[in-house]
Amino acid sequence: MEPLKTVRLWFEKTGRAKYISHLDLVRCVTRALKRSGLPVWYTQGFNPHIYLTFALPLSLGQESCCEIMQFRLVEEVEMQEVARRLDVALPEELRVRTAYDASEGRDFTKIAAARYQLRLQGDKKPLALASALQKFVEQSAIITSKKTKKGIKEVDIRPMLLDAEVRAEKEACAATLRCAAGTQKNLNPALLLDAFCTQTGCQLSVQRIFRDQLYDTEGALFR
Amino acid sequence: MLRDEIERVLLRVQKPAQYIGGEMGSIQKDKSEIDLRFAFCFPDTYEVGMSHLGMKILYGLLNTRENFWCERCFAPWTDMEAEMRQNHIPLYALESLDPLTDFDILGFTLQYELSFTNILNMLDLAGIPVLAKDRHDLKNLVVAGGPCACNPEPLAPFIDLFLLGEGEELNMEVCDLYLACKQAGESKQQFLQKACRIQGVYVPSFYQVHYHQDGTVKEVEPLNGAPEVVSKRIVKDLDRAYFPDTFVVPFTDIVHDRAMTEVLRGCIRGCRFCQAGFIYRPFREKSPEVIDRQAKCLCDSTGYDEVSLTSLSTSDLSTIEPLLEKLLSWSERDHVSLSLPSLRVDNFSEELVEKISSVRKSSLTFAPEAGTQRLRNVINKNVSQQEIDHTCRVAFEGGYTNIKLYFMIGLPTETEEDVCGIVDTAQGVVNLYYQNPDRPKGRSVSVSVSAACFVPKPFTPFQFEPQATMDELREKQQLMRQHLRTKKVRISSHDAKTSFIEGVFARGDRRLGQALLLAWQRGCKMDGWSEYFDFDKWVQAIADCGLDPAFYANRRRPYDEVLPWDHLYFGVDKAFLIRENKKAHADTATPHCRLQCSGCGANKLLGGPCFGTAENC
Repeated sequence: MEPLKTVRLWFEKTGRAKYISHLDLVRCVTRALKRSGLPVWYTQGFNPHIYLTFALPLSLGQESCCEIMQFRLVEEVEMQEVARRLDVALPEELRVRTAYDASEGRDFTKIAAARYQLRLQGDKKPLALASALQKFVEQSAIITSKKTKKGIKEVDIRPMLLDAEVRAEKEACAATLRCAAGTQKNLNPALLLDAFCTQTGCQLSVQRIFRDQLYDTEGALFR
Repeated sequence: MLRDEIERVLLRVQKPAQYIGGEMGSIQKDKSEIDLRFAFCFPDTYEVGMSHLGMKILYGLLNTRENFWCERCFAPWTDMEAEMRQNHIPLYALESLDPLTDFDILGFTLQYELSFTNILNMLDLAGIPVLAKDRHDLKNLVVAGGPCACNPEPLAPFIDLFLLGEGEELNMEVCDLYLACKQAGESKQQFLQKACRIQGVYVPSFYQVHYHQDGTVKEVEPLNGAPEVVSKRIVKDLDRAYFPDTFVVPFTDIVHDRAMTEVLRGCIRGCRFCQAGFIYRPFREKSPEVIDRQAKCLCDSTGYDEVSLTSLSTSDLSTIEPLLEKLLSWSERDHVSLSLPSLRVDNFSEELVEKISSVRKSSLTFAPEAGTQRLRNVINKNVSQQEIDHTCRVAFEGGYTNIKLYFMIGLPTETEEDVCGIVDTAQGVVNLYYQNPDRPKGRSVSVSVSAACFVPKPFTPFQFEPQATMDELREKQQLMRQHLRTKKVRISSHDAKTSFIEGVFARGDRRLGQALLLAWQRGCKMDGWSEYFDFDKWVQAIADCGLDPAFYANRRRPYDEVLPWDHLYFGVDKAFLIRENKKAHADTATPHCRLQCSGCGANKLLGGPCFGTAENC
């Protein structure tokens, strides 16, 4: 059957769901789609499977309220109904926020940045930790080694950190980071924290990394 | 609940999702409304345990009772175990994340002899004493069932009671009794005293084993009025037996990640090496309507895209063809593929190949088990060379290019000719491929030969046989490789050392419990995983207990010897096993149960003949 339309579906991945790796998530959503009974489109090749794409795979251990996936339908179904049926079929800590026709939104390639809320503890008091982190992100360059397909490469990740706000709370250091995100440039906040630990000698215990906004190339909220 | 403690270490270990629960289908209950908490413990990793159908059945069944809560617990992999020990996190169950000490009953399933140390390790990780005599309260009762419970003697010091045979009815009866005793404030001893009267319950502490001077068993003496012989339990009518309508669907990849429907129990074949073929007797089938309904229901509720029809020999299901018709009426539409493991070489029809291969063609697996007709007669694997040829021809014409062949080495009466016959059989399959004029152009054939080391098991006609020594096995492995002339055949062999320790414990007696304890104390665990199997430690532990492993593995038992498991009854009479053993040594096969009843005795458990009329018997 021919695909009729592509669904863009936003969902949350929180709590225990943060331990689901991206590969496992794909399998999990595929099964949820089957359970939902939605008329999803299968690829027509030798080994038919549900055609499923994700915008920005989330690292293991991180949470998010702005994950996006897309799949195609072969029959007309109300978008609210799509959202409702998949929500019922997903595990508790994967929650559907909204679904709409993908043609109403911009292409995935237009995603340019993401915002992360961090909560950190370490061998320093929150205030000292916050000031060390503040100093660290204010540097003009942050050189770190990054594993790529071709081997380990030295990169400056500072240009990919678009904005940082660091504050000390009662029991932890909190930070809001806006990082480059997407297929061209992408900064995983975990990489930044690794560099922070290596360069300052601080011991960190990352309590939470939570992605809460996506922005497009114009700096507006991605839709 | 240990959630915070667990989460603190979770991102430091591999595949963290397996340690935190929350999967689809996992059952949550309100603790305040629960009278009995049961931890189903699988003494191996999550990926192995979650593939196990028996656990899914008993998990679902126990949870049908509103006031029972059954949870799952697996052996953590060594990275997680290290984190748990370092951070004082006791072993917990996955639904509530509560420590095992909170549970009334801990039920272990015994699937493999080399997972025994994991039982001790799991108890220890939970902070529960490993020896039954050190556990005084009724709470944290440790029970165990599964195929290796047919000779549970090496585990006798650690387990409070064994559940013999099929668990559906038995588990419920034991839990009901437990709850009654718990509510009446009775002691563990009082409970065990009552439990041993339930058919299928074996309380090892109620049996005193006396030995001869030479180390063989003289007598097993029942104490406290325990029955002299404990008989296993079966479920008579599979159509009416409980079967889960959903599974816990894991996040992480597991060994068999698919829906499974059991189509039959027992086996008509009587292959003399196969323990499962005897201890699961009598043969019972599910009707195709029930199988079809269960398969459809599971696929709908789990979202799996594959359903496997499991049994010891699925093509022996008398209704296999109509069943496949039914299944195919919805499976293709729903994008579900069917998998039929345990197909036999001899009744593999073209139609069947066509049906199962309509979805996916990959590799095909057959088990001729032995390389010559004579040896196949000895082991009663009634498969002829013509049948092997026929099957492979059908498979090649059906487009298959990978064939896996399973064999064993070290079988009773085996000669060099038999060992070389394995390689010749594989070579014959390669030749057949090139005789097929329609073979895909430019595609080569690949035949994989897996040669396992035969381990004699209790309740089989070979329970009297000596296991081939490690040196003999290695010689046979070498002989196979020397005899191999083609690159199209790949041979993989099992480790003889692992099979030796498996053989020791398979037919071990109660004295081996001490060796098990010692080996575990010295660091043995995850023995089924080659990277952790430490042969020298095992040999030392057995020797330090004054025992000789060859006594258990490599000794021929006379027919009149009292075997350590003779006081347990799994449906097959010892007289039958002796008859079959004698026939093996006369190179004589026994027809399968549908052709002729050979009087194994298992129909007594049914209270009537296995097939239709009594004329068969």
